[in-house]
Amino acid sequence: MVATVKEIKIPKKPIPIIGSLETMYSIGRFMFKKPITTQYPEEKGEIPERFRFRIFLSPESCIGCTLCEQICPNHSIKMEVWEVEKEQGLVVETKRGARENMQNKRHIYPDVNFGTCTVCRNCEEICPTNAIYLTHQFEDARTRNSFTYSPQELTRQEDDVIK
Amino acid sequence: MNLLFKLHQWFSFLGNYASFGIAYLIETIVVLLFVTISFIILIYVFRKYMARIQLRIGPNRVGKFGLLQLMADALKLLGKESILPKGRDNMAYRIAPIITMMSIMVSFIIIPYGGLYYFGNLTTTNSDITLILMFGILSIMPIGEVLGGISTRSNYAILGALRGIAKDVSFEVPMLISVLAIVMVSSRSFVTGGSTYNSLSLAGIVTNEVIPYGIIEPLGLIVFFISMVARASYSPFDLSESDSELISGATTEYGGMRFGLFYIGLFGMVYLGSFLVSLLYLGGYNGPVSSQLGFIYLLVKTIILVLIAFLIWVSLPRMRIDRFVQFGWKYLLPLAVINLIYAGVFVLYIR
Repeated sequence: MVATVKEIKIPKKPIPIIGSLETMYSIGRFMFKKPITTQYPEEKGEIPERFRFRIFLSPESCIGCTLCEQICPNHSIKMEVWEVEKEQGLVVETKRGARENMQNKRHIYPDVNFGTCTVCRNCEEICPTNAIYLTHQFEDARTRNSFTYSPQELTRQEDDVIK
Repeated sequence: MNLLFKLHQWFSFLGNYASFGIAYLIETIVVLLFVTISFIILIYVFRKYMARIQLRIGPNRVGKFGLLQLMADALKLLGKESILPKGRDNMAYRIAPIITMMSIMVSFIIIPYGGLYYFGNLTTTNSDITLILMFGILSIMPIGEVLGGISTRSNYAILGALRGIAKDVSFEVPMLISVLAIVMVSSRSFVTGGSTYNSLSLAGIVTNEVIPYGIIEPLGLIVFFISMVARASYSPFDLSESDSELISGATTEYGGMRFGLFYIGLFGMVYLGSFLVSLLYLGGYNGPVSSQLGFIYLLVKTIILVLIAFLIWVSLPRMRIDRFVQFGWKYLLPLAVINLIYAGVFVLYIR
């Protein structure tokens, strides 16, 4: 058996100065392009339509089933007692007349620690009454307080939350 | 009418010598101010240019369009504690940045700047041998770098200094040979065909340069420009300050304003190299229309060369040390010698 020797082609040696000039040309063209940097606090970049971050709570429809607490993978959600009916006067019309919201008898509502929240959206998915939902707001930086949002704060807009 | 003589006339009540002294002093200070402001603008332009090429915005916070960023940086450098390394050679360590800075400054004083309408000729000092003086000063400059490298007893700095020496040795010879070709061509006048007597001064060369010498000897232009890139030691040839291998090369142990002087020296060398190329090869302050605008012509040529130099800086990667020395001795030196022979033949031909 005779082994066939493959001829190896030696690549042509490029001329050094030509390559450098090509490099300079292709890099110099970037001079006339628009910079892609956005100056964040002054000008805000485009947010995708399906982007979600901040968790909101509508206390009228929350039934205190604790499903969100159970599904949360990081245990970011804890249930907290909040007498929202007495504070805000939430009233439900029934056959026997107006009375307190009977959906949430234990008066427990979720509070969320955004320090550990991974925005997996399991709570939004599991919620049977769509009481907990996520919006596109994301600027919730805090300086001194903890990252935990009480149920009161979850119902408010980001500007109204005391930071 | 020279600007110097105008100043001399203003101060003539002080007597001849004193008025000349004051006139020289004022003109030197004006030139140094011009040079310093140019450096500041140059560093700003470089940062903006580099940012735009990398699709960034660049400095835009301090002042309008970030124009005062350099002032802020200089203030920061001035306010820094001056940390001296332990095993240093004290004198050499302290004197090295000053040598680099001073040689740059002095060489800007002997450049012929040409005339501007009212002011007359802006050249500060003229002599018959400014070309030799210029390259003498240019060969003082790397001494600062080498002293800064070897005086600090840091391994990185010593390696950087050694590389700097290798670079200078490889590139001084082709640079001086291409300058010799310039002197040969300049010793013969295009207009009369006779010999000229001031071909060793920069002003004399520019005066003889009716056709830019870059057109007559393009090889010399290429060799001289590459040598100037190597002398300023920026990106393809920044071996003495190769920040990915040696931390900051010869200037590793320097901080505060001492480092700032080295940094300004680098940009000053870019500027000076562009001035020299435009003086020796691109016609200097000779322009197409009016001889009153000489300074503007020189400045425009220099700025275009500076922008080309910055483009080289941001686009080309660093050469390896052995390839670099090979490039100097095997390619540039023969090219310079060919250019020299060509210049000799050319001089014989125009006679």
